[in-house]
Amino acid sequence: MKRGGLPRMIVSRLLQLPLILLVIYTITFMLVWIIPGNPLEKPEGRRPPAEIVDAMQARYNLDDPVVFYGDYLSGVSGLDWVLGDREGPVIDFGPSLRHENWTVNEILAAQLPVSILLGLSAVALACLIGIGAGVLGAVRPGSLLDLGSLLLALVGISLPAFVIGTVLLVVFAVHLGWFPVGGWGEPGHVMLPALALSLPFAAYIARLTRSGMLEELQSDHVRTARAKGMPEYTVVLKHALKNALLPVLSYLGPATAAAMTGSFVVEKVFAVPGVGTHFVDAVLGKDITMILAVVLVYSALLVLLNLCVDILYRWIDPRIEPSGISA
Amino acid sequence: MDGAMLRLLLPALLFLTTMLVVARCDDHGDRSDLVIVGGGEVFTLDPQRMSYLRDMRMGGALYEGLVRLDLDNGDFNPAAAWKWDVSSDELTWVFYLRPESRWSDGSPVTAHDFAWSWLRLLAPDTAADYSNLFFMIKGSRDFWDWRQTQLEEASGGNEGIDGPALWTEAEDHFRKSVGIDVLDDYTLRLQLEHPVPWLLDLLAFAPASPVHRPTVEGWPMEGVSTDVGWHRLDPPPWSSRRFVDFNAKTGRLQQDHRWARPGRLVGNGPYILDAWRYKRDMRLKRSPTWRDPDGVQNNTITTLTIEDPNTAVLAYESGSVDWIHGVNVDYRADLVELARSGKRDDVHIIPAFATDFFSFNCRPELPGGDLNPFADALVRRAFARSVDRSVIVDNVTRLHEPAIATLVPPGSIPGYVSPAGLQHDPDQARADLSEAGWIDRDGDGMLESLDGTPFPVISLLYTTNTPRYKRIALALREQWERVLGVEVELVGRDTKFYKNDLREGDFMIARGAWYGDFGDPTTFLELFRSTDGNNDRGFVDERVDRALDAAAMEGDPRVRMSMLSELERYLFEEQVPMIPICQIVDVHMYDPGSIEGITHHPRQVQSLWNIRRTDRQEVMARGTAP
Repeated sequence: MKRGGLPRMIVSRLLQLPLILLVIYTITFMLVWIIPGNPLEKPEGRRPPAEIVDAMQARYNLDDPVVFYGDYLSGVSGLDWVLGDREGPVIDFGPSLRHENWTVNEILAAQLPVSILLGLSAVALACLIGIGAGVLGAVRPGSLLDLGSLLLALVGISLPAFVIGTVLLVVFAVHLGWFPVGGWGEPGHVMLPALALSLPFAAYIARLTRSGMLEELQSDHVRTARAKGMPEYTVVLKHALKNALLPVLSYLGPATAAAMTGSFVVEKVFAVPGVGTHFVDAVLGKDITMILAVVLVYSALLVLLNLCVDILYRWIDPRIEPSGISA
Repeated sequence: MDGAMLRLLLPALLFLTTMLVVARCDDHGDRSDLVIVGGGEVFTLDPQRMSYLRDMRMGGALYEGLVRLDLDNGDFNPAAAWKWDVSSDELTWVFYLRPESRWSDGSPVTAHDFAWSWLRLLAPDTAADYSNLFFMIKGSRDFWDWRQTQLEEASGGNEGIDGPALWTEAEDHFRKSVGIDVLDDYTLRLQLEHPVPWLLDLLAFAPASPVHRPTVEGWPMEGVSTDVGWHRLDPPPWSSRRFVDFNAKTGRLQQDHRWARPGRLVGNGPYILDAWRYKRDMRLKRSPTWRDPDGVQNNTITTLTIEDPNTAVLAYESGSVDWIHGVNVDYRADLVELARSGKRDDVHIIPAFATDFFSFNCRPELPGGDLNPFADALVRRAFARSVDRSVIVDNVTRLHEPAIATLVPPGSIPGYVSPAGLQHDPDQARADLSEAGWIDRDGDGMLESLDGTPFPVISLLYTTNTPRYKRIALALREQWERVLGVEVELVGRDTKFYKNDLREGDFMIARGAWYGDFGDPTTFLELFRSTDGNNDRGFVDERVDRALDAAAMEGDPRVRMSMLSELERYLFEEQVPMIPICQIVDVHMYDPGSIEGITHHPRQVQSLWNIRRTDRQEVMARGTAP
């Protein structure tokens, strides 16, 4: 295999990124534009006169899709900043159409770190729970431990987050008083939502780990290791687990992206001020700038995280040919 | 767990610990004296742009208009103005401002502040929701139209629009033609088109609050003394005003709302903005410059944004929230039951200044030219008489709202006597429908008109954002089908589509609600003016328009009230463009033993500075003391 493959892969993937984002931007823009409704219209209350509605539409370029597309693209790509047409941040996601007091940049700057923190905590928790349960299940298939891990997986996958979240809140926050009920700003605020968010991921990881482990434990190199008289835990954790984790690793890329962009339900139940709510609210309210911003950020995250996973893959198993370049 | 396992999990554990430490750094500080959850994220802190109750609650805390409404006795208390005079024809009002009043940056509050803020309120550029409420100020409607025409003419030309020059011209025009005059720094004269008995109510309304021009426009104020008002300074060139500019296409003045931020926002109210984090919280703290420091009962107030109603109640139960303004959980009716049976004293049912109703489409025909049976008032009356409101409020919503048959909630406006409206009367309902010509002529159980056209299937439009309106719609369908023998089809739509249907008149019967803005029946009844922007029903009746005009010109308040009462009788006993169902109620949660000063008045203008925490034992001890 070629030694220079890794840097080349990274560079080519990074070069692809803007192109991918441009395609996503264009498709999303077209879909968003045809949603009915006017983002500047308030859901309740009085109706402004028609000429005011027109003027407000003109102010935000909502009267002309071509102008809006070009304007937003040059702001979001930083082109107008490079050309010196605009001051301020390099990448400008524009004003929020639903919340005139804020720009999308400000909203994302405040909320993205929250979601990333929560998402990473959830993924870490999911790995802890999922890999632990998967290994325990695989070591003694059919035992109570295995059943327990199966149960966890079932609960994690089938119970919706608003049920798990509410149960966690009622038990640990209201009755036991160990954690605050929702909000953000203290360490205690992270624990319950991270747990609720992690369970579906943990369940999936547990199943991936278990099946990977079962397969590995039957393999030749494990049999050899056992024959050499290695202690069982070394066999399990060193020889079997390392290979069994490969499918988990490839799952971690999209899982981390999904967890970091937040869960609408978990964030709502725990009153966590993250970006998750925008994936639903922005679409319902036709907040075009917000939708485009979250879609672009999410796509960029997904591409970059998949790249990280591919790098990790190569680190764990150098035989694997990096995807994205032809041999 | 053995060593190798630990080694593997160690990174994850370390990572979690780091996360917890990082989260710690995001902490906010001490708990406020009062923690409120209420009604979602504040939309704006720009008073002229406000239209939501939750925004106005904040507006009343950060700014102060000329007068304040005292809900307990319906009086108007001096606020930014310490006294006022009215001419005998009630057309000229002169307000005297307190020379000692200060903005939170220390500069004096002057009559210029009010004149400039009302220019914002009345200029179409601001897109204020409530401009037209203030069109009774002399010349203001003409000014609005003049500015629209000016902008349209300018944007029709080929050369570029000179926004600043047009605006300067508009300012001049406003000064000359609109009845708002600064007599001296602390005296303001207001001239009206016609007597307005509810003028003080409007002046107490958040959109009439003053804003601080250098702050709103973003003047460079470094090194400028705040001892004098901005009106004594030369306005900086437009290019150096940070928060306003002009639209290149339309020439309109555009506002950047980033002036309304902690550290920037300058107000003249009892509080200043300490922190505002999007969809998290807003924190107010006592203003050091407010005129009446003893009148503020708490030092800090936090409003939390908790979007999930369940979580809000759990947060209240755990003690981290003092007051939920508008409980909206699925089990709200059960909470109300507990309160009614005396098992909980911290659940409060407060009727709002608002009515839930169902609108008829009164246009001669439906879009597409279909027959509209509700163009006929007799049919509308038949449908209204078939509605048994007590079933709806007791068994369907289970909130036991006051069932009402008029739009103005009875008893909410002093001096106004509500008419009875149409009550539940199935027999009369069937008779009305027959009189309208809808009779089962061929004995097939369906109604037909004289020429044999069958009674159309009625579509009933409701919104799906809460289950409340689906339940009410189901009950109405059952009642109409049973009493009148008509067929009703339910159409549930998302708010966005629903609003679109309303605007296009594409419905037969549709749900609606209206919140009154000021303490006068016209805040509800103007809805029936044929030209009103919110006349979703397409209801046109010259007699109503004439009656509204006549009442506006009537000088004697008592005669005026009886004219409006007669108008409402005509509307709700003869024309019936809509079927009122009930007064809307809000459910609040707070412990009456530890919180004092929350008003239960339907207007629900909460004076946050009047609310204070008391120790429960202390109150009980006081209660039992001789």
